[in-house]
Amino acid sequence: MSDGMTDDTTGAAEGPHGGTDPVLSLSSVDSGYGEVQVLDDCSVRLDPGEIVCLVGPNGAGKSTVLKTAFGMLTPWTGTVEYHGRDIGGMAPEEIVREGIGYVPQTDNVFGSLTIDENLRMGGVARDGSLEEVIETLYDRFPIIDEKRGSKAKTLSGGQRQVLAFARALVMEPDVLLIDEPSAGLAPNTADDVFEDVKEVNDMDTAILMVEQNVTKGLGISDRGYVLDQGTVRFEGTPEELLNDEEVSQLYLGG
Amino acid sequence: MTVLGYLANGLVFSSIIVLGSIGLSLVYSIADFANFAHGDTMTIGAYSALVTFGAVGGLGGAVLGLPYGFFVALVVGIAVAAVVAVATEKLIYEPLDVDSIGLLITSIGIAFIYRAVIQIRFGSDFTRFDVRPLRPIEALVPYGVRITLHDVAIFGSAVALVVGLHVLLQYTDLGRKMRAMADNPDLARVSGIRTKRVKLWTWVIGAGLAGAGGVFLGLFNQLAPRMGFNLLLVIFAAVILGGIGSVYGAMAGGFLIGMINQLTPFFSNVVEALPIRPNWLATVIENMITIEYANAIAFVIMVVVLLVRPNGIAGEAAT
Repeated sequence: MSDGMTDDTTGAAEGPHGGTDPVLSLSSVDSGYGEVQVLDDCSVRLDPGEIVCLVGPNGAGKSTVLKTAFGMLTPWTGTVEYHGRDIGGMAPEEIVREGIGYVPQTDNVFGSLTIDENLRMGGVARDGSLEEVIETLYDRFPIIDEKRGSKAKTLSGGQRQVLAFARALVMEPDVLLIDEPSAGLAPNTADDVFEDVKEVNDMDTAILMVEQNVTKGLGISDRGYVLDQGTVRFEGTPEELLNDEEVSQLYLGG
Repeated sequence: MTVLGYLANGLVFSSIIVLGSIGLSLVYSIADFANFAHGDTMTIGAYSALVTFGAVGGLGGAVLGLPYGFFVALVVGIAVAAVVAVATEKLIYEPLDVDSIGLLITSIGIAFIYRAVIQIRFGSDFTRFDVRPLRPIEALVPYGVRITLHDVAIFGSAVALVVGLHVLLQYTDLGRKMRAMADNPDLARVSGIRTKRVKLWTWVIGAGLAGAGGVFLGLFNQLAPRMGFNLLLVIFAAVILGGIGSVYGAMAGGFLIGMINQLTPFFSNVVEALPIRPNWLATVIENMITIEYANAIAFVIMVVVLLVRPNGIAGEAAT
């Protein structure tokens, strides 16, 4: 059953963005930290405009997928392609310039810099004036607009997460990688953050996200992957994954 | 001398310590590197200025008792210190690709190399800039302040450099990138900051200021191959006192350590005046608080401050 499901969806012909080339794809990637292998023949794709959620047990390699896609880890084997171009092993500061943004799970703002300076840092790789794009972001996220001149370390958890998104969005990336947006947030705040993720997605930014909160994470996603031991075990629409008995029992806590 | 006199001397000596502390702190916070060659970078600045001044001479006029040629020499001292530091980073530290402890140990070796090269060329004796020594400024002598125009030049230049650095850090793109890197190097790269380039600029600025500090130290005292290395411990104390990794903390720490250093004779006067009993204790304390122990006293005060504020003056309460 599970095999059949994977086959169905790898083609993605029926998906919401079916038939297009992926913006980002990892193909048969092995990767890890130093000598320790984490990803084992892992393949993940992200189509234009999609939200894709990576779920799975701790240590499954979810964050490692993002780090390998963003050049913080170099794939040992396999390829990372962005719009068909191999970017495997490119440095993060160069990948940003290609059009991919990354929001780390922790320490994702510059605490000793002001909100305004954080956003400016998000745009160091942009040519020309930042004012316009930063004003647009303030309009979109009024919660940080009020605190432009404050140090980022004075923000609450939810506000920090919003600033972290905004920092990554200054580059107007067409792919955003988000590592556990709801980590450490109160449930209400987490809901707001998921709303923000959807809103970012509505601006034509494809999102590949790791999320511990499976129901909510998949709830806003177009597709999901279940990772275990560094490889993709299941792939499908949120409904398929949430309703699959094997997936539920093995990976989603029943 | 009066309290004012000691304070004035403290200001001048602090200026030199602050110039040294800033670079050590910048490189520590941005390149994650406790650079033991920093003191010898100051020496390089001083000797480069010595050679330049010997070559260009006075160049006519003078400001604050210093010939124009001296300021040319100062700029060359700053530039050579910066170039040597950048070359060392590019040729040695960066290719080595070791962790911060490895870099620290390497930098001790580099310090020896810098010093040995200077010693081969100039010998190990003291030397001086060929500038006419000045008498203390007459108008200040009645207040017990015996400083020369040279001291004013040292203080003024240091203030200008520190203000310049502040403007750079707060209001320029490079400065913001430097602060971002000091805050969170991983996020800096994720944001697209080309960190290697910023690191090189950090070396330029840190070593340049150290070079200036070295030139002024040579003017304040004299030049010797060990001049910078001898000051290194004091500079480390200043940086730790200020809160390691904080540039503004390093400024504050450098100021305090320099002040304490020069105020030591004043402290000993105060102690002498105190009715300390028994007499042997008074004698012990009086013998401890003498100029020979100025650095030791600075370290004791550093330890006391760290007991109260373990992360230094500007350090965060928790990390």
